[in-house]
Amino acid sequence: MPLKSSPAQPPAATNAVQTLWKAYNDQTPDRLKFIDAFLFFLMLSGVAQFLYCVLITDFPFNAFLAGFSSNVGQFVLAASLRSQVNPENKNEFKEVSPERAFADFALGSIVLHFFVYNFLG
Amino acid sequence: MLLFRSLLCAIGLAGVVYAKSSKGDSVLVVVEPKQQDNYSIFFNGLREQGYDITFRAPKAETPAVIEFDAPSFAHVILFAPDTKILAKDLTPQSVVDLLSHNTNVIVALSSKQTAISTLAAEFSLVLPPPGSPLMSYFPERTDPATVVPVPVPASHPMLTPNLPPVWFSGVPHSLGNNPLLVPILRAPSESFAAEIDGGSADALVDAAERGGEGLWAGSQLGLVTGFQTLNGARITWVGGVDIFSDEFANKEVVKGLKSGNEQFVRDISAWTFHESMVLRIDETTHHRVNSTTPLEQYTTNDQIVYEARISSYDPKTTTWVPYSGLKDLQLEFTMLDPHIRTALLPVKGQPGKYSVTFRAPDRHGVFKFVINYKRKGLTYLQSSTTVAVVPPRHDGYPRFLSAAWPYYTGAISTSIAFFLFSAIWLAADSRDQKKGKGHKSE
Amino acid sequence: MFSLFPLLLLAIGTQGSVLTLQSPRFKVTSSTGTQLRTEPISFTQKSSTPVTLSQTDILKLTFQVVDKETGDGVQPHQTFLRFYDGKTGEEGIQPVRVTSGGKAKFELNMAKPPLSLPPTSDTPLHVSLIVGTSTHSPMILSLFDLVVPASHPPPYHPDEASFHPLPEIHHTFRPEQKLPLRPISAIFSLVVIAPWFILLGLWSQVAPRVPYLLSPSIIPFITTLGAFEGLLVWYWVDLKLGEVLLYGGALGVITIFAGKQALSKIGDRRIGRK
Repeated sequence: MPLKSSPAQPPAATNAVQTLWKAYNDQTPDRLKFIDAFLFFLMLSGVAQFLYCVLITDFPFNAFLAGFSSNVGQFVLAASLRSQVNPENKNEFKEVSPERAFADFALGSIVLHFFVYNFLG
Repeated sequence: MLLFRSLLCAIGLAGVVYAKSSKGDSVLVVVEPKQQDNYSIFFNGLREQGYDITFRAPKAETPAVIEFDAPSFAHVILFAPDTKILAKDLTPQSVVDLLSHNTNVIVALSSKQTAISTLAAEFSLVLPPPGSPLMSYFPERTDPATVVPVPVPASHPMLTPNLPPVWFSGVPHSLGNNPLLVPILRAPSESFAAEIDGGSADALVDAAERGGEGLWAGSQLGLVTGFQTLNGARITWVGGVDIFSDEFANKEVVKGLKSGNEQFVRDISAWTFHESMVLRIDETTHHRVNSTTPLEQYTTNDQIVYEARISSYDPKTTTWVPYSGLKDLQLEFTMLDPHIRTALLPVKGQPGKYSVTFRAPDRHGVFKFVINYKRKGLTYLQSSTTVAVVPPRHDGYPRFLSAAWPYYTGAISTSIAFFLFSAIWLAADSRDQKKGKGHKSE
Repeated sequence: MFSLFPLLLLAIGTQGSVLTLQSPRFKVTSSTGTQLRTEPISFTQKSSTPVTLSQTDILKLTFQVVDKETGDGVQPHQTFLRFYDGKTGEEGIQPVRVTSGGKAKFELNMAKPPLSLPPTSDTPLHVSLIVGTSTHSPMILSLFDLVVPASHPPPYHPDEASFHPLPEIHHTFRPEQKLPLRPISAIFSLVVIAPWFILLGLWSQVAPRVPYLLSPSIIPFITTLGAFEGLLVWYWVDLKLGEVLLYGGALGVITIFAGKQALSKIGDRRIGRK
């Protein structure tokens, strides 16, 4: 449902957000919510590191890049896992079984972490 | 450098100081045979010190000073100031050749102008017009005005301290500002150069007013001056040959006080023949602090230790003795221009060793450790060691900094979260759940 | 060096007669002609106050050299003025023209200083008169101290500086990186950890059941994944690249087998159920 984002109608906007949230809660399977929680965590963690870099210091810049891209990369991998195991997308990913998706996710994460720890310093 | 090592004469009289040059013992003296005996005290003094003297008339052809582009003698003394034309191999150019081949020279001048005296101008020494020797009416004495007692500086690095005045007869010269010159003896303030006979007061004033060199007078004039070339050869210009003579050596300056001539000429020949004030750098090393091996490349901001060992020549024992007396030695760390110049200080307790610790600049490039120590009268110390300074390697930077703690925790918490996520995902039920409508499953 | 042998003068004895100066006096006039200072010169003591000349003043010196006994004028061979700077040792000698009758006149015009004047600074120059001749005993008379405007220093040879200690050069290094205070970094580390609470809270609500956690087909895969993470953290702390690739390769082989086994089991289970 598209959000009516006109500021002159706060009650309607809040209403739209609430409806969206209710729909999300009702219609999303738990496995996907599980992944969504993971995504939310990664986003918060990345924002925290970004704030530190901007507000305090970016001194070991390589460490910032490593930490931040660890979060961002993991987010991307988890998001792609989510879209691949989503039963609604089954028609998109006919030849990719959920197990295959998870295997890709795991491999990608291991490689990502390797680069992250390489660069972390 | 030397072709001949001449045999040493039997070491003579007891009680004589035996002092030898660091560069060789063979000396060629160019002097008229008739006048050779006038300087017997000087020559015997040299022989007693261990020098091997060969005499030659100014116009004689043999022995040649340079044969086949190699010097035949370690030192040459030219005592022929009145001979206008010398032999073919004693031209001003050959004197310069001798110096460039590290042969040391003592040259005596006189009021006559010869080929050699024209060479003096090349050494920044200007001679007065011919026929005007040094004369002084002070102090009042029975000797002619051209025989001048000259006070010797009480403390000069080359001379024995507190020598009595020396008798001098000859020409003064005016010193240029070339730093390679080493002034040894200056004229007394009351002395001046003038024609011997018939010189009038008006002539002096006219000469001064004419400009140019003007009046030749005062203590700005030099009588004995040394010059050390850039390759280390030493040449001493003496304004008159009589300062070496026996007559002046035995003459009294004051009743009961013999002149200082004998010791004075021995001192200047000791300096010229590389006996005194001779230094050398034995070795230089460099390494990191807390290490002893020299490296070919250092990292920027390294603490580097540079050491040099310097000895001076002791003529009495003819050995090189460690010398810690240099107080203003400096080290330059240079890449095109000196980036660092610090004092290289002697190390207490280790004679002859000089050391400094400094931090390599945070510029990378090819640097040189340069010692370039030049002082009047001392041998020039020069040394240059090339070394590379590189930026830190990829793993040479500081790690695990406190500023990066949030990033470390971010990466590690992502790893742990990934692990937990995969554990739960793999261990879970297969995705067979129906979407709970309206309520969440527990 | 100003050298005198007073012993010699007394011991050797005079050659003959003694010279003296008659009516020696000096006069300082300005460029316009006004007389600034005039004084006779005394034999017994030097003038007490230094004579000061500015850039346009003129110093005039007059005297007559006579034989002390007969009073006749004498023209000495050597009549010099000596200007000596005691601090630097620089000296200048200027001859004075003396007539055959012994009369001498010397003029020093600061607007056109003679070449013989030594380079000057603030220190006063000692001025003395040197008179020498073969017929009489020589004489030195200390006249006065002279202060003249400072001149340019003597020109130095371009290599002269390398014969003295050169100024030290220090390299200015890039300033050290300033690290933020440790407590601030620690606080932000906690901020980065804080999302864990949210994660655990959310997961406690939506996590699926895990009946197969300890089943033998799943455990190896989970442990190899954990081992990989551990290997990577170990690489960050201690290992070198070659080592981690070696261990990682070995571990990877094991992981592939474990993973194949685990995922095929899961897949079968899913398809079987379905």
